[in-house]
Amino acid sequence: MSTDRMTRGKSFYFFGFLILVAFDTVVQLSFKYAGNHAFPPEANWAWIVRVFGHPWIYLAVIGYVGNFFTWMTLLKHAPIGPAFAVTHLEVVSVMLFSVWLFQEPLTWPKVIGASVIVVGIICLAFAESGAHPEGDAPTEAKGALGVAAGN
Amino acid sequence: MSPLVVTLWLLNVTLDTVGQLAFKAAASDPRAGDGLARWRYMASRPWIWVGLISYVAEFLVWIAFLSLIDLSQGVLLGSINIVVVMIAGRILFREKLTPLRVTGILLVTAGVAIVGIAGAG
Repeated sequence: MSTDRMTRGKSFYFFGFLILVAFDTVVQLSFKYAGNHAFPPEANWAWIVRVFGHPWIYLAVIGYVGNFFTWMTLLKHAPIGPAFAVTHLEVVSVMLFSVWLFQEPLTWPKVIGASVIVVGIICLAFAESGAHPEGDAPTEAKGALGVAAGN
Repeated sequence: MSPLVVTLWLLNVTLDTVGQLAFKAAASDPRAGDGLARWRYMASRPWIWVGLISYVAEFLVWIAFLSLIDLSQGVLLGSINIVVVMIAGRILFREKLTPLRVTGILLVTAGVAIVGIAGAG
């Protein structure tokens, strides 16, 4: 357990969240493609067949599975409040990919919103690097239900 | 907003929060150990299943929710989940809410809300 903790540094969380957001983005874009290929949406069996007749929906499922295993690995030590906030980097990545792949307009309010998200995540990165000096495990990791976590 | 929209919204917040906290409870259990044994241990305990069932239910609620309102409005209303999960993490897992953490989390929340409002415009 102690060796496990020592290997979990800044790069572990940096790449961990990067992989998580990549899976999230794949899921959202695949859903969009799956919907586009099955157009028009109908509440019938034919639409379901169209959705599952293209590879996109399966890519979305793979993205979901990858997301789940990455998230459960990150949550072993990462506090849920800040970690859940960081996953919303997905909003920024999906926005940028949508401009490129679906020609969706990139307006100033969207750019401002995305920038505020990025600044918030940079704050959280600083918060975590300051909160846990080297070799110090997060306080949150001590109790599964906050039993032994000090404050 | 109609009562149905409000009900679906509250259901979404509740299911998202319950799901995330259940995943945290499963993932951070120190008895789980490491490697493959950790996954086996988690699968034998209820929390990971509570999380997965909440996710599936949330997915269905979200689809119903989006059939009544625009996606941009959904993104805007969904931003509140970030704050609720933060507060729940504080209460249930004694997570420290340092000024920098709160600032970061609130900025992300505001950013998601702005993106939602921007999409509606």
